[in-house]
Amino acid sequence: MSKRIVIDPVTRIEGHLRIDVEVDDGVVRDAWSSGQMWRGIELILQGRDPREAWLFTQRICGVCTTVHAIASVRAVENALGLEIPLNAQYIRNLLVIAHALHDHIVHFYQLSALDWVDVVSALKADPAKASNLAESLSPWPGNGRLDLQGVKDRLSGFVAGGQLGIFTNGYWGHPAMKLPPEVNLLAVAHYLQALEYQRKANQAVAILGGKTPNIQNLAVGGVANVINLDSQDALNMTKLFTIKDLLDEMTAFVQQVYLPDVCAIGALYAEWLPYGAGVKNYLAVPDLPLDTRGTQFDLPGGAIFDGNLSDIKPIASFQDPYFKENVAECVAHSWYEGDATRHPWDGETVPRHGDFDPSGKYSWVKSPRFQGRPMQVGPLAQVLVGYATGHEPTRRWADYALTTAGSIAKAKLGPEVLHSTLGRHLARAVRTAVICELAQKHWQLLVNNIAKGDTAIFNEPIFPKGEQKGFGFHEAPRGALSHWIVIRDGRIANYQAVVPSTWNAGPRDDRQQRGPYEASLVGTPVADPERPLEVLRTIHSFDPCLACAIHTLDVDGKEIGRVRAL
Amino acid sequence: MLGLGNVLMGDDALGPYAVRTLHARYEFPEGVSVIDLGTPGLDLTPHLADAEAVIIVDAVRAQGKPGDLRLYRRDQILRHPPPSRLGPHEPGLKEALLSLEFAGGGPGQVLLIGVIPEWVRPGVGMSLAARGAIAAVEAEVLAELVRLGIPAAMRVPPDKPEIWWETPADGA
Repeated sequence: MSKRIVIDPVTRIEGHLRIDVEVDDGVVRDAWSSGQMWRGIELILQGRDPREAWLFTQRICGVCTTVHAIASVRAVENALGLEIPLNAQYIRNLLVIAHALHDHIVHFYQLSALDWVDVVSALKADPAKASNLAESLSPWPGNGRLDLQGVKDRLSGFVAGGQLGIFTNGYWGHPAMKLPPEVNLLAVAHYLQALEYQRKANQAVAILGGKTPNIQNLAVGGVANVINLDSQDALNMTKLFTIKDLLDEMTAFVQQVYLPDVCAIGALYAEWLPYGAGVKNYLAVPDLPLDTRGTQFDLPGGAIFDGNLSDIKPIASFQDPYFKENVAECVAHSWYEGDATRHPWDGETVPRHGDFDPSGKYSWVKSPRFQGRPMQVGPLAQVLVGYATGHEPTRRWADYALTTAGSIAKAKLGPEVLHSTLGRHLARAVRTAVICELAQKHWQLLVNNIAKGDTAIFNEPIFPKGEQKGFGFHEAPRGALSHWIVIRDGRIANYQAVVPSTWNAGPRDDRQQRGPYEASLVGTPVADPERPLEVLRTIHSFDPCLACAIHTLDVDGKEIGRVRAL
Repeated sequence: MLGLGNVLMGDDALGPYAVRTLHARYEFPEGVSVIDLGTPGLDLTPHLADAEAVIIVDAVRAQGKPGDLRLYRRDQILRHPPPSRLGPHEPGLKEALLSLEFAGGGPGQVLLIGVIPEWVRPGVGMSLAARGAIAAVEAEVLAELVRLGIPAAMRVPPDKPEIWWETPADGA
């Protein structure tokens, strides 16, 4: 008999993701993804000065602040045909890099590792054995026997005190948890160490952005970081070297801890490799521009259809018509008026809330489509596009990760295994390693350019009478983000943000094509419908970002965090 | 001192509004940071890591009238376990405190000054009830600083608070 499972974790706080799956005979047969809150950023921005749009868009989401700020200034610059100075490009790139490193580390250790790691099992680990195992994979100094013994003692103290604190909600002892105790202990140790690196990344963003999480240094036309190597208040040599130190430390953590952890955990769950592919169309936009106009990039963009890596359609510049002309959003199954599919410049947001109706409207999220196809975005798309275009650092790190995981799993793993739930995790770690390398490069590019005597940071934007349309994209940690603006007589006439989680979490479209979350869940095994850990594993692998718009604390946690099996 | 909330969601702007107002009206002793943090989710953790004491202002869901204050100390905040989460964006105060506790640190003194909102939905601007609560929030913050032995001093004359999101759309 089929069972419907609803994962609706926060029933008293709006704005969240709800996942419905139909399980029959221990396997997911169908799935629906629903965003429970609408955003009205375009209504807030209408009539405002385009130069201040980024201040508002960075408040759409408190975690992805920087990415919405970057996409917004790029959209206005695109509408005006405005180039920005090289220093501004490099400073923005370093911000983007620091933010991405931070985001990926937090995602893995704090949001998804515990889907695979059984914290309670770590209590049975032998710290000496765990240390030997770790040293066979990585030279990281934090894997010593005494370090691991300390973590185990701390965990024992928590459990003996009758509380698991931060780990209370885990699926401990679940039949799908399969790691040996030593690997679980290592993962808990690295969870703690990751907290330190979260702080380091934040410091780098704060130095460049003036403040974190809401940066203050952007402007349409460039940045506001005055460059003067001899001034206390400006971006000077001391600050630049502090940033370099922070980036170096994060690089060591990513290469010696995060990537090996993901390879090992992925390999030890190799039986999961067939699950979670879903939509095999992938979209990534290019990023880390190297020139003032945005025609050369250090990270490639493109579209892949039906998993065919030999036929990549490149996206090559900030002006590329292939991207501009092929994005549209459908509202056939979303709680908005009508069932139209519109280009973002013509997008409307007229809410029409109804009941959750799986055959009708069931989500506040719209369904973005590229050439009419649902697209998966995020690190997996980034890595596959890099792989397909022959991007050297992506190929090198992806091959390294697949070889390392393959040697632990005692199997030959090629890029085809990346179309999966575990593949999304591996791709995220690969992308993080690539970004670490580029962090060094872009820091050096900035320093070299300043050394040449160039201190320009800003080109004044000029708004002509009449109408201009622009789009700005950014390959954010969670995938392709694009902002679309219509300016009339120097004021915002329309504004739409097509965010990564909309691509991934959107509902079916007018042709009943499932979105990536929905498609990825079909075929997933579920051992215990009361504890659908397997469903969470696949959803978490996308790094969902839906509850961006709202934040009301609920101190009395009684009704939140429930999984209903109907 | 941290103001939490989304300034684009009606009364959820209360935390940022309150700390910006306090920052404009008072001088705080060295070592006190006053930050509008927005909605950092789990990124709250690094902002708490080095603090000995923290005062948080935020909208809270609780029984009562819009504009009513609810005060919570650390043990009350942690009385119920944190909800399981799907994404990084759900409020992260409990997780932040618990993560830091597990790591062997975090603030010992925590005061959450909560205000019950009248409406939380997309849009800029707070209800009269929420605006009316700002003075009471200010009084609680000042009292807590006295209790911690680090009283604030009034700025004379006060600065104008930077509530940039409430400027009218036509730029007037």
